[in-house]
Amino acid sequence: MINYHPDQHLLSLHAKGDLPLSMSIAISAHAELCPHCQQQLDQMTIALSEQQFESAVKTQSVDTNDNHQLDALLEQLLNSTLDTLEIEQASTIDTIDTIEDNSVSIKGQHYPLPKVFRKQINASWQGIGKVSRLRLDTGEPQARASLLHIAANGEIPEHTHKGAELTLLLAGEFSDCYNTYKPGDFMLLDKEHQHSPKTLEGCLCYTIVDAPLYFTKGFSKLLNPIGDLLY
Amino acid sequence: MDAGEIMENVQSQSTQSRYDKGHLAKRSLIKLSGAMKSNEPNPMADELASLMTQVANDRCKTSFAKLFSHFGPKINSFGVQRLSQQGLAMDLVQETMTRVWTKAHLYNAEKAAVSTWVFTIMRNQCFDMLRKVQHNREDSFGDDIWPLFESDEAESNDNDFLLSASLLQHVEELPPLQRQVVQGIYMQELTQQELADKLNIPIGTVKSRLRLGLEKLKSFMEKHYD
Repeated sequence: MINYHPDQHLLSLHAKGDLPLSMSIAISAHAELCPHCQQQLDQMTIALSEQQFESAVKTQSVDTNDNHQLDALLEQLLNSTLDTLEIEQASTIDTIDTIEDNSVSIKGQHYPLPKVFRKQINASWQGIGKVSRLRLDTGEPQARASLLHIAANGEIPEHTHKGAELTLLLAGEFSDCYNTYKPGDFMLLDKEHQHSPKTLEGCLCYTIVDAPLYFTKGFSKLLNPIGDLLY
Repeated sequence: MDAGEIMENVQSQSTQSRYDKGHLAKRSLIKLSGAMKSNEPNPMADELASLMTQVANDRCKTSFAKLFSHFGPKINSFGVQRLSQQGLAMDLVQETMTRVWTKAHLYNAEKAAVSTWVFTIMRNQCFDMLRKVQHNREDSFGDDIWPLFESDEAESNDNDFLLSASLLQHVEELPPLQRQVVQGIYMQELTQQELADKLNIPIGTVKSRLRLGLEKLKSFMEKHYD
């Protein structure tokens, strides 16, 4: 049972395609694990498509110039472009070449990943001790997105966030001072929160931080640069 | 064929299907999960669906022109709002409508209304274009982020849709190596030898993974459908 979900606002932004890649990946992966949110996204998509395409209101501000361009485009499509286009084959997402790509192995554990990660895993694992990180190259300067693996009985030293931190648990379990989390749980923490996640059986998460983390407890201060590396 | 006339025609039909507030609430009761389609009569939706069928089956350009006249200006206005850069909105119209043409046969009226299907294509294209504008990235992740609500070959060949859908889901749950072999043999219809060559493993390994995978599927199905 998934207990933590993205809020309505995030879901509706996602249905519109309004979120950056790092967060779009998180919502898509959550929805693959959570039929409830997937259904809400479907409803929102239906509502948006009706609003966009079926509303009786005339499209605002289509100027004559746009109309000319649209006519020209249609003419070009009909007269030449369409005949040169190949018919697309059915989606190849599940074909054999991509199956092996869409999973990760770390410390002897093998984890299948939600479909959205299919093209995102291009780096290798880095890390120290029980904590390993695989950075995703989203091209977004403000946000760092990673897969984070914590081996059994591992923990992240207590830290607060300079910005927001998102954690989507993909496999295994972990707990912090607030709760115990299960696969699919989607936790968005702001900079007010301090926490120190621990796991008994080991876990795999997808995380985004939008600014470097501060480690706030005694000895781990020394590890601050490594803390940056971990996330 | 005058594009203006077609637009008038489609839009006058749409006034009959005015949006009412109970509409969405009723939709949430749609039973078949994943189906993005309303059961209520909607003349414009029916018209669009029949145009799609003609494009898919007969490659009918007249029908395509009607779809273009309906969707083009609306895609353009979506693009103007979203992609601030001049000229990109028209690119979005072109990218979306050419996909409507090349993917028409994948449109599945059971899964989504034409409007919803076109919306998803447009949104996904727009996402990829925005990535290019904002981060100068030439990637195309839109179709991986949002499920496509299209037919794929595996299920279009099968009449027993629900059973086949749940079987497919169980295939997904198989351990990766077994899943790979089951999918290779049954969905891509490779021979055992072809698959062995492709994966660079002995044919005996293909056989044993296949046997393990099928046994697991059989027990899934027995557990749930006794």
